Amino acid sequence: MIRYLASIIALVLLAVIVQQFLPALTILSGSRILPVALVFLCASVTLPAPGMLLLAFTCGFLTDMENWLGPHGGDPEVYEFPVETLHFGYSIVLYGIMGMLMQGIRPLFLRGNWQLSALLAGIAVFLYLSTEFLLINFIRGGFSFGDKTLLKIALSSALTTLFAPLVFWVLFDLAERFHYTIRLDTSRRRSG
Amino acid sequence: MRPLNLLALLLFLAGVTWALTRSPKTVRSMQATYYRTISPFLTVGSDLEVHAREYLDEVEHSRSLEAEVDAMREDFGRLKLIESRFRAIEAENSTLRRALDFKERNPFDVIAARITRRQPTTWWQTMEIDRGESAGIATAYTVVTDGGLVGKIDRLGQERSTVILLTDEACQVSAKIEGSPEVGILQGQREQFGNAPMLRLRFLSPKARLQEGMRVFSTGKGGVFPPDILLGEIVRIETGPLSTEALVRPSVDFQNLSTVFVLTPQKDPSR
Repeated sequence: MIRYLASIIALVLLAVIVQQFLPALTILSGSRILPVALVFLCASVTLPAPGMLLLAFTCGFLTDMENWLGPHGGDPEVYEFPVETLHFGYSIVLYGIMGMLMQGIRPLFLRGNWQLSALLAGIAVFLYLSTEFLLINFIRGGFSFGDKTLLKIALSSALTTLFAPLVFWVLFDLAERFHYTIRLDTSRRRSG
Repeated sequence: MRPLNLLALLLFLAGVTWALTRSPKTVRSMQATYYRTISPFLTVGSDLEVHAREYLDEVEHSRSLEAEVDAMREDFGRLKLIESRFRAIEAENSTLRRALDFKERNPFDVIAARITRRQPTTWWQTMEIDRGESAGIATAYTVVTDGGLVGKIDRLGQERSTVILLTDEACQVSAKIEGSPEVGILQGQREQFGNAPMLRLRFLSPKARLQEGMRVFSTGKGGVFPPDILLGEIVRIETGPLSTEALVRPSVDFQNLSTVFVLTPQKDPSR
């Protein structure tokens, strides 16, 4: 299991690099593919809870490293109402919650229903982005959640979900290479 | 709950607490280390991306590019001449100001930088440029184009840095309006995903006499941006009982930027 977990962490690091070169698709409302979130969601269903939590911490930490913006600065007498930024570390919490959601359907996944996990990964990405945007609203004040935002979140989730089968294929391959048993029970389907 | 799971959860919560309690300074330092680590991968990737884009551009517009390069060469020679005269005048001006006991304005040098990534994050309006600490850039330095203000440096790496754009909600600029005594705070708006983002100029007096088309400049107050940089043009005025707000179209076309200039403090203005 240790070697499988290490290989997944390497896969996450690769996803971080890949994410650097995936542009926002302006023709699709600025939506984007989120490989780090996808690798985490697909991997979290193949791992026991401690492994998932370690992965959640790694992914959340790297995401915040990548995205966190510093405070505006400047003279507080001129900039009396600075815009708050999300605190470093919030992504770790969000990844942890998404991971727990994925763990909820782990029994189904272990029985061979990886398609449902792929679908749930898309739903989890949708929830992740929605929660992130709601957090921005909460911290900065002035609630707004327009159609454009909803479309951006929905398209990002849909685009990311399209690559879930590919990530599951890579994970199954890694599991086989490192002799980690994901325990897919396909006997029922064969006999049916 | 199994003891191992409980232990893992406790460790996870401890990790979360550790991360949430880091100060901005510590996070900045961790980010610098992070960017240094992944920098070689990013450099190779962005070089490939830039070369591919340049090749495609060249194939498409080789003739027009050639003409453009010729025109730019001429402009470059002319501008070099103007710059040398400007430096002399600036030095003379500086001396005269000192002699007259005026408050000397901070002169700046510029560092040209290419944009390597646009919109790298989901919610923040940012872009990355190919110059960093090694070129003399530091956090919060102002980024401009010939059209006006672009933003300021936020994350800093050795060879690259991230610019938070004027169109981001978190980028506030103390602004004044041409031909009016009004001063306000200009900032981007949330949910501006289109090609023509608008800015909001807030905290103007309720009796402000404004007109559409008036130009907006930075005041230089607040210690973030230098004065008199063009920010945009008023397109709509919203008068309220307590204050007036104005919608401002940025003077910079953020969709078609390729090169920007980072303002750095001039070491020796008399040179």
